[in-house]
Amino acid sequence: MEYVLSFLPMIVKMAIVIGVLLLLPLPLTWLERKIAAHIQQRPGPMRVGWHGLLQPLADAIKLLTKEDHIPAEADRMLFAIAPVVALVPPFLVFVAIPFGDPIQVFGTTVTLSLADLNVGLLFILAVSGIGVFGTILAGWASNSKYAVLGSLRSIAQMISYEIPMGFSVIGVVMLANSMQLTQIVAAQQGLWNIVVQPIGFFVFFVAGLAEAQRIPFDLPEAEGDLGAGYHTEYSGIRFSLFMLAEYLVLVALAFLNVLLFFGGWLGGPAFLPPFIWLFLKVGFFIWVFMWLRFTFPRYRYDQLMTIGWKVLLPLSLLNILVSGFLML
Amino acid sequence: MARTGVKRTGWIGRIFFADLLAGLRLTLGYMLSKTVTHHYPDFEKWVPYQRHRGHHFMNTNEKGEVNCVACGLCSTICPCDCITVIPFETDDGDRRPKVFDIDLARCLYCGLCEDACPADAIKLGQEYEVSTTDRSTLKVHLDDLIAAPRKSETGGVVKPAKLDVAGNQHSILQPGTSSGHDWWSRIRRQ
Repeated sequence: MEYVLSFLPMIVKMAIVIGVLLLLPLPLTWLERKIAAHIQQRPGPMRVGWHGLLQPLADAIKLLTKEDHIPAEADRMLFAIAPVVALVPPFLVFVAIPFGDPIQVFGTTVTLSLADLNVGLLFILAVSGIGVFGTILAGWASNSKYAVLGSLRSIAQMISYEIPMGFSVIGVVMLANSMQLTQIVAAQQGLWNIVVQPIGFFVFFVAGLAEAQRIPFDLPEAEGDLGAGYHTEYSGIRFSLFMLAEYLVLVALAFLNVLLFFGGWLGGPAFLPPFIWLFLKVGFFIWVFMWLRFTFPRYRYDQLMTIGWKVLLPLSLLNILVSGFLML
Repeated sequence: MARTGVKRTGWIGRIFFADLLAGLRLTLGYMLSKTVTHHYPDFEKWVPYQRHRGHHFMNTNEKGEVNCVACGLCSTICPCDCITVIPFETDDGDRRPKVFDIDLARCLYCGLCEDACPADAIKLGQEYEVSTTDRSTLKVHLDDLIAAPRKSETGGVVKPAKLDVAGNQHSILQPGTSSGHDWWSRIRRQ
């Protein structure tokens, strides 16, 4: 019995994380539409619920009840598993993300993470790299020129930007002497990493935008020139799985930015619980991503490659070099 | 909005993305500014300028009689033949219209009838919601024209209104003292 009970906090935490992550895209789509609208001086969705708050729910019902269409020439099995393959990595990323210091509940210590891996950062970078398979499979299985072009672009983009992204966090790891995310946050007590690692943050931020396939690096889906890129042929629930994955990557990216460079849950006002303070920071980053999305145009393909290889990679190497010298 | 206030900042500006930051500042300004959309038909309705040519109305004199003398000039000048006037003589010996029909489905709201009228009778008002699901209601008669809304004292403003869900789905101006707001004042200019 004792043995079974020891699993209880883990099961509860898993249920909460999965539930929240599955529901999170609803408010995020609303937020994204509102931000887009207000940047264009429109009010956005207004008619379903108060200020359109129930609009995502209506959209969800529409998407879930739509015909689940598979093109005749598509590879049916790959077509069916691609959305799931795209959805798993963002969920896996949240396994390693801590939400705060351990807290006391009913006399037992509960860690506010599913697993505080001691190679957490490495795990996150590795797992988020798998996410590209969903895109590749979707593009290939659709058997459509737009989809396959989108997935080809996405492969090149992912490979190009994973390298500077990985290099950019090395400075943070050097400062914390650990790859454990709780240790990295603890090392920022007093001074956030953004102060000592501005270049690292910049590279991580930009590479992260590219990894999340957000504007200005959204070439894989490029509504303008590729239809909708790799999910051109998807509709209904499979399409909504892609949307879900996209938003979860965005949230995970915001979490990583905060944990690695903005002190995680540290430094908040005393009356706020630390995890609320963390969520506020994450919310701010999500807002910034959406703000960027509706401000910038899309980069051209060669510009994308130039930024990745000729700007971000040298910058991240320089960052490692400078941090190394300063630490000696 | 062609100009964003970007100055040429040289290589320092390029390194620190002066152009991108200027773009972000611009969109942030827009994000925090008021929206310009009319909340029509739910909460607001645009009251057009007084020169607007909308739904017709018929002026009456102080005794409550229509001004129209049934001369037929309006139906003669009407380019789409949508006005039917049949005169009759009242007990006082005045010439008045027995029938004055306008087919709103044919009318092109040119305002020539208003120009031709010698008796200041037929006018075009500011009412523009004439949609209906029954075509026969688009033929308006003399009593409809007398009852139709006159020109409002203001124009070119957005006023509070409410969608008539139960009725004909038109947006009804809410009675009240609100003089409305000038829509153009919300346009953000640099």
